[in-house]
Amino acid sequence: MAELSTSRPAVTVVLGSADACDRVSALPGACPISTVEVAIVGDASITALRQAVRLVDPDAIVRDVSDGWVLHTLEGPGARDAFARLSELELPASGFVQGAVARIGVRVLIEGDRVDLLVPSMLATHLRERIQDECRELFA
Amino acid sequence: MTPGSLRFEGREIPIEVGDTVASALFRAGVRTFSRSLKSRRRRGLYCGTGECPNCMVTVDDVPGVRSCVTPAGPGMRVERGRGWPSAEHDLLHVTDLMHPLMPVGFYMKTFVRPRFAWPVAERVIRRATGSGRLPEDREPTRGTSRHLHVDTIVVGAGASGLSAALEAASAGERVLLCDAFPIGSQVPPGPARDAIRALEARVRAEPAIGILDRHAAVGVYDGPTVALASGDELVQAHPRRIVLATGATEMHEAFPGNDLPGVWLGRAASRMAGLHGVQPGRRVVVVASTDEGLEHLRTLVAAGVNVTTAVVPAAFVDEVPSTAEAIADGELVSARGRGRVRSVIVRERGQERRLGCEALVLSTGLAPRDELARMAPDEPVEVVGDAASAGTVPRVTGGYLCLCEDVSGRDAEQAWAEGFRSAEILKRYTTSTMGPCRGAMCGRALTAFASARSSEADRESASRTTARPPSRPVALETLARSVHEVIEKRTSLHETHLGAGARLGWSGGWKRPFAYGDPREEYAAVRERAGLMDVGTLGTFLIAGRDAPALVDRVFPGRVADLGPGRSRYVLALDEAGYVADDGVLCALEDGSYLLTSTSGGAERMDARLREWTHRLGLHVHLLDRTSELGAILVAGPSARELLEPLADDPLDPASLPYAAHREVAVAGVPCTAIRTGFVGELGFELHHPRSRGPALWSALMDAGEPVDVRPFGLDALEILRLEKGHLYIGQDALPDDTPAKLGLDRAVDMTKDWFVGKAALERLAAIPLGRRLTGLAFDGGPPDGSELRGMPVMVGDDLVGRVTSAASSPALGRSIGLAWVRAIDGQIPAEGLRVGDAVATVAPTPFYDPGGERLRG
Repeated sequence: MAELSTSRPAVTVVLGSADACDRVSALPGACPISTVEVAIVGDASITALRQAVRLVDPDAIVRDVSDGWVLHTLEGPGARDAFARLSELELPASGFVQGAVARIGVRVLIEGDRVDLLVPSMLATHLRERIQDECRELFA
Repeated sequence: MTPGSLRFEGREIPIEVGDTVASALFRAGVRTFSRSLKSRRRRGLYCGTGECPNCMVTVDDVPGVRSCVTPAGPGMRVERGRGWPSAEHDLLHVTDLMHPLMPVGFYMKTFVRPRFAWPVAERVIRRATGSGRLPEDREPTRGTSRHLHVDTIVVGAGASGLSAALEAASAGERVLLCDAFPIGSQVPPGPARDAIRALEARVRAEPAIGILDRHAAVGVYDGPTVALASGDELVQAHPRRIVLATGATEMHEAFPGNDLPGVWLGRAASRMAGLHGVQPGRRVVVVASTDEGLEHLRTLVAAGVNVTTAVVPAAFVDEVPSTAEAIADGELVSARGRGRVRSVIVRERGQERRLGCEALVLSTGLAPRDELARMAPDEPVEVVGDAASAGTVPRVTGGYLCLCEDVSGRDAEQAWAEGFRSAEILKRYTTSTMGPCRGAMCGRALTAFASARSSEADRESASRTTARPPSRPVALETLARSVHEVIEKRTSLHETHLGAGARLGWSGGWKRPFAYGDPREEYAAVRERAGLMDVGTLGTFLIAGRDAPALVDRVFPGRVADLGPGRSRYVLALDEAGYVADDGVLCALEDGSYLLTSTSGGAERMDARLREWTHRLGLHVHLLDRTSELGAILVAGPSARELLEPLADDPLDPASLPYAAHREVAVAGVPCTAIRTGFVGELGFELHHPRSRGPALWSALMDAGEPVDVRPFGLDALEILRLEKGHLYIGQDALPDDTPAKLGLDRAVDMTKDWFVGKAALERLAAIPLGRRLTGLAFDGGPPDGSELRGMPVMVGDDLVGRVTSAASSPALGRSIGLAWVRAIDGQIPAEGLRVGDAVATVAPTPFYDPGGERLRG
């Protein structure tokens, strides 16, 4: 069985050089999107982040982009099975992966039986409906 | 106790415990299970392993079900697929006598003339063939699709597959073991099944091995990915390596009479007798040349079957039970009978003997099921067990090579004579191996036929044919379970629009309002007062970093270097061929970065384009796609400023925020980037705001607009508004090979720039006269609703010179207007004599409305 919940977390994006991104990629909730982009899910001090990354990249950008993202959380023993119905991404025991979930570009944070799907706001309702439709018996 | 009965063409057929549909029907006296595809010959049980097409019936309205491997259930409704008026008495069997008139490939060379013949013949052929009728009114079943990641997938749960799974698990691998059937269910009682049961117990006790029985592997794809289909789900397995233990079928030999009911492969006969207690015939001749064949012979005798004769190699003679006559090293010549086997002809020491019988059981060799390996030659595939064996070369002396497609030895001979001289092109011409068995039965027979007729040098080209998914028939419904086609994007105002009674439709991947009521009223509100439109679908990007100016200067062909902070400009995006890919508005920000908007449907492509050129040019640029983060509302109309000013904390007068400028403004407490635009041809403000504040901002604007009778407007009204202004939609009015010149957008190109994407191509194209041009047209006559002209051809006399890409009835002009492609004649775009349907078209300059732009600059 699995449970699906939806929330609107704080999301901060850091755009900078690879060195700048390296400085923040180990922070809690950090999602290394690419060598030059890190998204941080959860509360983060934009000022502190800006200071950290601009030491190595004065152009680096740190912005609150929370409005652009919605978090769907699958939780429980069936969470990974539910995810497997929507995506061919292989989930590690814990960590971060990104790729297509029901053909939508999604950022995925995994911790045991909890799978967090960070999805663009404009597609959040669609993905939630897809999850509910594809996995309905897993939520019974 | 019997578990009930099934209903077969009006008869109640009792079911015994463990019965398949085929065993229940055979016990009840059914001998003809199907009719062949073309010649409508009777076909009886043959392979017994779910490979051949002979036993296919319709079960509970589902056609193409292999009865030999389908468990019988009480209440099942079973029918045979082909036969008119019935499979038992099929009048279309006359086609067997007409075989010379329907040679192989006949549908490619007959009914060619007169031209009307083929459509008629095609309908007749379609009605006469097929494997039953699809249930048209049945609701799709609900099934699932899922992905599995393992180290090793083992396909086939026979002894080899079970051993391979255990070996992989012992090496610490995560293993998926799959089989089309329950483990061991297809093996008759005996030592082989005992061995499988013992291995199965060990496999089930191994936690690293996952088992998916009743899941047939239907294809191997790049990745590798292995597709597994069952009745209710599609599994896409992603292993690191693949072990194929798919075993082998018993060899299908082509000899005269080989398709008669009563000719059995050994596994089918021994299962029928050993598992189901049903004798394949009262007098049986066995032809066996393998150890497995001897095992079948023993099983049949042990089950009480009257095996009168066994044709075996001399070395096996002593193994033949004493109740049967052993013929050493005899050669099977043919099976004979009318409608079913009555006798077989065997050549013994040069003499032919006729042996009366009701069944001929063949076990003369193996044909490895290796098609999955042949689908993926570059993937990490290991083939084990019988599937890895060389197999036996079947004899082809006549009869039917391909049971599925009714291809006889004579057909193959004719195809060869016509020049189709390799297995691959024989396959394509005869369609042999392309039927429900997917070559499991006939693949080797076809190869043997081609090899026997090829020279040594050509033998390689005569070898095995290409294998393609699916290796087993699979319902399209099952495959469709993995398809997620429609993706629906929504703005933050989706619910607001629904609450306002908007009619929503698809546009650029978004669900957008087309109208809230009467589009003409919405149009009038924008032209006369004020209208609101949700434009949160626009692609929106932040382009920052020290090289941001260099990137925009090179990606966009227009002059942007002089774009000062607070100013905005229309930009085109070209590809390297100089063709227009997208357009948008570029806004220069105070800190040297840019805000870019693109078309709703082109946002992903714009994002990719900017990233690609950042990388290719080696620029230090930070790109942030803000499409999902920002909403946008267009406030347009002569009263737009009047509506906004009471809500805004900052001045919006023409001096503070002129046309083609932008500034940060708080509207109703919502922080916005306000961009002065003119897409609809009126005073307009695009308010880009945080997505989460969209509903509150919309509500405040509607309330504030009450004194001017503001209206929300949708895409229907926008279509008229923008067309009157002569603005084009890239996705609708432009073709993939349109240059700015063809679209009349030269003003957005600065050829004096040193370099921009597509410049070299435009320089070359400048020397070539324009072949066509997007042209404004005004219509006289024609349909009352001018939008009906869209898509219609533009004619000059009898010459087709173009096509209308956009059209509408213009309230402002009192006539229909449009944009159209018009082809040059003698280097000139024709200005006169144009007709579109019943309408007379006149070339008209654009914009049609407010050509001086006074209204939008207001």
